[in-house]
Amino acid sequence: MHRLLALALTVAIGWFVVAQASPTSPAPRSTALALGFALIAAALTGELLERMRLPRVTGYLLFGMICGPYVGNIITRSMARDLQFINGLAVVLIAFIAGLEMNYARLRPRMRAMAQMGTVTIVLMYVALFGALWVAWPLLGMDPELDGLQRLSVIALLTTVVASFSPTVTLALIAESRASGPLTELTLALVIFADLILILMFTLVMQLVRYAFGGTQDVGVFVSLSWEIFGSFAFGAAVGAIFALYLRHVGKEIPVALIAVCAAMAGAGRQLHLEPLLAALAAGLVVENIATAGGEMLKEAVERSALPVLVVFFAAAGAALQLDALATIGVVAVALSAVRMLAIWATTRAGAAYARIDRETGSLVWMGLVSQAGVTLGLVLIVAAEFPTWGITVQTLVVALIALHQLIGPVLFRAALVRAGEIPTPEPAPAAP
Amino acid sequence: VTSQLLSLARHAASNLRRRAALGLRPVTAPVVVFIPVGFALGPGGIGLLSHGALGYLDVVVSIALATLGVFIGLAAGAEARHVRRLFAASTAEALVTVGCVFGATLFLLRTWNVPLAVPHGVVALTLGICAAASAAPHVEGGVDRVREIAARVADLDDILPIVLGGIVVAVASAAGPPLTGAAITVLLGLAVALSGWLLFERRQDEAERGLFVLGSITLLGGAAAFLGLSPILTGLCAGWLWVFAPGRTNFVVARELHKVQHPLVVLLLITAGASLEYSTAGFWLLGPYVAFRLTGKLIGGWTASRIAADIAPSDLGAYLVPPGVIGIAFALNISQVAPAVSGPLLFAVALGAVASEILAMAVTPTPER
Repeated sequence: MHRLLALALTVAIGWFVVAQASPTSPAPRSTALALGFALIAAALTGELLERMRLPRVTGYLLFGMICGPYVGNIITRSMARDLQFINGLAVVLIAFIAGLEMNYARLRPRMRAMAQMGTVTIVLMYVALFGALWVAWPLLGMDPELDGLQRLSVIALLTTVVASFSPTVTLALIAESRASGPLTELTLALVIFADLILILMFTLVMQLVRYAFGGTQDVGVFVSLSWEIFGSFAFGAAVGAIFALYLRHVGKEIPVALIAVCAAMAGAGRQLHLEPLLAALAAGLVVENIATAGGEMLKEAVERSALPVLVVFFAAAGAALQLDALATIGVVAVALSAVRMLAIWATTRAGAAYARIDRETGSLVWMGLVSQAGVTLGLVLIVAAEFPTWGITVQTLVVALIALHQLIGPVLFRAALVRAGEIPTPEPAPAAP
Repeated sequence: VTSQLLSLARHAASNLRRRAALGLRPVTAPVVVFIPVGFALGPGGIGLLSHGALGYLDVVVSIALATLGVFIGLAAGAEARHVRRLFAASTAEALVTVGCVFGATLFLLRTWNVPLAVPHGVVALTLGICAAASAAPHVEGGVDRVREIAARVADLDDILPIVLGGIVVAVASAAGPPLTGAAITVLLGLAVALSGWLLFERRQDEAERGLFVLGSITLLGGAAAFLGLSPILTGLCAGWLWVFAPGRTNFVVARELHKVQHPLVVLLLITAGASLEYSTAGFWLLGPYVAFRLTGKLIGGWTASRIAADIAPSDLGAYLVPPGVIGIAFALNISQVAPAVSGPLLFAVALGAVASEILAMAVTPTPER
């Protein structure tokens, strides 16, 4: 009851403040308002949904969607844009936490099987989705005049984007539910592996598309690709080592230091054309596996810092969900989403069978791979900017898919984790004296 | 000249020893360190903090302003509940300081006819409000009764400038009638505090409690900043309500905020330093501001000691010379709502705070009584 009252009061405050702003006033400072409102109201919505056995992340997303510019408009379009500033920081923090979860000694016995399953699953998925998109081409609303190499390259690009997973959502759900076990580790390994493949494939396929459409090709593509992948790992490892030294020799104000390190990695990553997700993952790996000093303090700091960042990140994602895209291209998106899920289900089963992953884990892992989010959106924005004639259609389609998968994915993954028994049950509160 | 310099150095060293013996800070006040650091990092220095970066830090400034307001509300609420006479004395001290600085500055501005983009009265009142805040001397419980009283006065004398400041910010932002703006500021603070009380009071999980405290403070700062009002006043009202609300909300909030207090204050000061832009008007305001503030504090302290004669020392004003961060926070708030005209004010207040901290070394209270 207290929580519902607090939620109602917070929404009323948000509505009142936004309604008070004069439409003629020059660009009001909305970021802090959006942050505060999202932190409280989204967290409360997440709690309410958790009581209904749904993931908190879905609650944060739903809050953003309901209060966002397409429905309630309490979070206005400019506020939703302001909230996006947290994206870079959130992705880095989430990846850093993922790195901290990856203990080499613990994972070593299963690494070979994971790599085998990842390879088989991703190869089969690309083939299956490419075939499905080739067959469904007339229904996708693309430029009908595209044929031959142009059509092939666009379908390859669409396959790459549609086949992508969301490491961010997967990692966030693991972090917020404190899940651990074989399914958690396998899903985590698969999404990170797929993210590496995505960067590789997208860069190569974009070269093919540029060639097909007669554009200029970047001869230094492999250099930049190598820099993006290996440079990111090296940069992240160096940052991780410095942070480990800080933990060992200073060990103060760890939450603030952690946020500062993540912000620096996000900023430097952009400036140096590195992949922040890979860099942060490497930093987390180094801290976990090489310098284990300050483990408990770090865990506490991570828990304290991660929660607000996750809440705002997903609320912002919910507010930015382009529901109009879903309305425009809904039927095609739903059909394509069903095909994608079917492909994930079938190929993960085949991959698990090939790699001899235990039956229960192998049958549940597909549920952890449905989510799609920011990385995919970033890629289609690049496509739409470079090829506006057909890229806008690709963008609309993929944005609608993201909207669907952001809502369905976390629910499915949490259900899988619950079924696998990998979410710890909360300890009962101590009885009052 | 050399012997005079040596004599000055000996005097300064002796004062430092004396302040140390009294338990007062020597020269390590954050204002003295971080305002120059901010200036060095800002667009006027090496440019690491560009105008774009300062735009991002604006979010943090709003949150830091609200945090300061909450801290003062918590401290003042706890004090005012027990020592009403000290509250009256502190308010009188603040009022005298505001009056001294306002009157003297207005006279000077009119006499010199300093060209400013805003009316002289508004500038003089703003400087008066910035001058009225003082930093509390550090107190170990029960160690020194006089210093403890001075610390309480320093906490309580921030309330009047914050309330007046709430009205001035509403005037400066021109968002509507000033009194309506001030009333909305108070109502917002109380509403967010009520929502916070509902959230923190029964929560067990530390991380979740921290999240809701952070959310409430951000909402306090954000709502006020969005409407062009004073986040310090919304914070003050919220902190005040949390003290009087049933339960332990005030302790929960204080404990959570202590974890972010230092980084926020440092960021606030660095932002203030980086936002400094030299202006002739600001330069002309600086010297008089420091002198009038010192005079106001000494007279105000004496007035307060007359009102609470049995507990407050007669040289109370000497304890209240260090300005702390509230004055700078208020000047930053003004520069948020009226950036085009606030440059000279921020320049005078920020550098005036540094100068006052240094001046505080020379104005030392009597050690034995």
